[in-house]
Amino acid sequence: MMLTVEGVTVKLPYYSFPILRSPVRRATLNSRPFSVTASTLKEGHSETPSAPPTSISLGHLTRPDFPILHQEVNGSRLVYLDNGATSQKPTAVLKALQTYYECHNSNVHRGIHYLSAKATEEYELARKKVSNFINASDSREIVFTRNATEAINLVAYSWGLQNIKPNDEIILTVAEHHSAIVPWQFVAQKTGAVLKYVELNEHEVPDVDKLKDMLSRKTKLVVVHHVSNVLGSVLPIKDIVLCAHDVGAKVLVDACQSVPHMVVDVQNLNADFLVASSHKMCGPTGVGFLYGKSDILSAMPPFLGGGEMISDVFYDHSTYQEPPSRFEAGTPAIGEAIGLGAAIDYLSGLGMQRIHDYEMFLGKYLYESLQSVPNIRIYGPAPSEHIFRAALCSFNVENIHPTDLATFLDQQHGVAIRSGHHCAQPLHRQLGVSASARASLHFYNTVEDVDDLIRALNDTVSFFNSFK
Amino acid sequence: MNATAITTTTQPHFSSSRSAAAESSSNSQLHNLIPAKLKLDKQNNRCSLSVKCIPNRGIRIPSALALTAAEAPPSKATEMVADKIKRLVLEFKSLAEPIDRVKRLLHYAARLPPDNVSAREPESRVQGCSTQVWVEAEMDEAGRIRFRADSDSEISKGFCSCLIWMLDGAEAGDVLAVETHDLQDVNVGVYGKVNSRVNTWHNVLLAMQRKAQALVTERKQGIRGTCQ
Repeated sequence: MMLTVEGVTVKLPYYSFPILRSPVRRATLNSRPFSVTASTLKEGHSETPSAPPTSISLGHLTRPDFPILHQEVNGSRLVYLDNGATSQKPTAVLKALQTYYECHNSNVHRGIHYLSAKATEEYELARKKVSNFINASDSREIVFTRNATEAINLVAYSWGLQNIKPNDEIILTVAEHHSAIVPWQFVAQKTGAVLKYVELNEHEVPDVDKLKDMLSRKTKLVVVHHVSNVLGSVLPIKDIVLCAHDVGAKVLVDACQSVPHMVVDVQNLNADFLVASSHKMCGPTGVGFLYGKSDILSAMPPFLGGGEMISDVFYDHSTYQEPPSRFEAGTPAIGEAIGLGAAIDYLSGLGMQRIHDYEMFLGKYLYESLQSVPNIRIYGPAPSEHIFRAALCSFNVENIHPTDLATFLDQQHGVAIRSGHHCAQPLHRQLGVSASARASLHFYNTVEDVDDLIRALNDTVSFFNSFK
Repeated sequence: MNATAITTTTQPHFSSSRSAAAESSSNSQLHNLIPAKLKLDKQNNRCSLSVKCIPNRGIRIPSALALTAAEAPPSKATEMVADKIKRLVLEFKSLAEPIDRVKRLLHYAARLPPDNVSAREPESRVQGCSTQVWVEAEMDEAGRIRFRADSDSEISKGFCSCLIWMLDGAEAGDVLAVETHDLQDVNVGVYGKVNSRVNTWHNVLLAMQRKAQALVTERKQGIRGTCQ
């Protein structure tokens, strides 16, 4: 099925700014116009993986936009399959960062001079881009944070400590990322609230029926991921939100693994809070965001104190700005936020539905290809007509430590995968292992990348088995 | 060296019952540290291994851990540790291909006693490693630190094997004198002095040093026992 179009993937020399290319060029290669649909996915249900929409796959089409991919590692072509940890950055994002620091660098919301006004304009435009990208009703519902972890901590320390009382319940799943567990452990320890965990069902997916059974008037908050960073499973957020709201509970969605890969519409999901991270969606590190409904954000006290978040400061007290400024103490990551805005432009230019369709195809190919490796166990649900799973696979090969696998794949084959607990130790305990290997894809990956992984993995397994 | 001979008996690498006198006898120390299955067969100039020997692609590399007592450096403990570090660094620096360093680590991993269950207690777990590593330490009657380690990863076992070869039986001061950057050229996968959960050298060495320090403190306080 594959199309050999490495000719499109020009081997670039080391990246240098003067040869920055605009992704606009891509339109001339594409027989189908970019399509951005406003429709959300039918969560938790499969959509038939379609073949790449054009004669050139999205992976081949976009690879030239990512200079970092065109290098050799340990003597082999780099095959980057650790996108669940962080994504690579297209030239458009690098160029936006360079332009900001070359032309507009100044502090925001401070000076009246030209540069400050320009930086402020760009920074607030980035907020607007994020807002539009997830279909928030107002850009004031977007708070820039350092990352998704800080966004969750912001909700925990501000909303959580204000609203959660002794014996209140916070429901989470065992598959949450540590950053969505630990802040709530802090809150529970400080308030006397109880954390309740939803375990996996027989398909290795958090049991949504049990989650619904756990809901009661004691429940004040439900913390759930949208897409699991280990299982690749997708939770029916809209359904969960509906049930949680029935008992008066709020819902916080960790969307770090969904926002970069599919259409996410916060108004459609109706979640109260949603967090995501720039660096996983082709943007720079150092910036993430919190979406919160306006009325909830407005009632929340500040998290961090400092400049920018205040209205007036007196000797013994201060008054605070309205959201989002109330939650953005100090000089923010201005250039990074602008870079995130550029990443959103890039993703939107490709079309999130198109990205999703391609990744579904590639993810299924990855899953099926991995199944050919002897003695492998892939975690999470098997993709089927009824079960959609994201384009990532966590797995173990019998009697070989995943870190040993990952080390050999890197050192011998230049294949970058992740090994370890992926910041999900409770989940790994439930799966009965301490660690797993994970290959996670993005739209710039190709069938050849998957084929290289499988070849390298088979060689790696043979290598370690030869020692037994 | 492609060895095929099999030695089935494995001499315990670490035993608290060994007498201090035996441990400190000048030239026997290194020899004792080499499990029987890895000793050089000088007559045949072959290495007897219980696992398949990895060809080193024609590079003549001094195998630090395979030194016999006769080749051992001076007996003074301080010189021993420093010299061992040099030998190990030289050995790994000589391996130009990353994969050869991995193979060498697996080679050394085979030297750790298998399934050392007593070392796999939660208190022995090295914090901060991406793989599970367990290290135990105790001080013998001569005041030397004896180490034991295990891991669920073969490559990490290789790191542990090398570290134990360097530090087992050394005096606490010598253990504490090792700098993490001394080992930067021995690394596999993580470069330089990186402090990271994937830098097993770094994390295990620091754990060994913490345990050594704790044993010294215990002894000073007149409490002699095992530190876990």
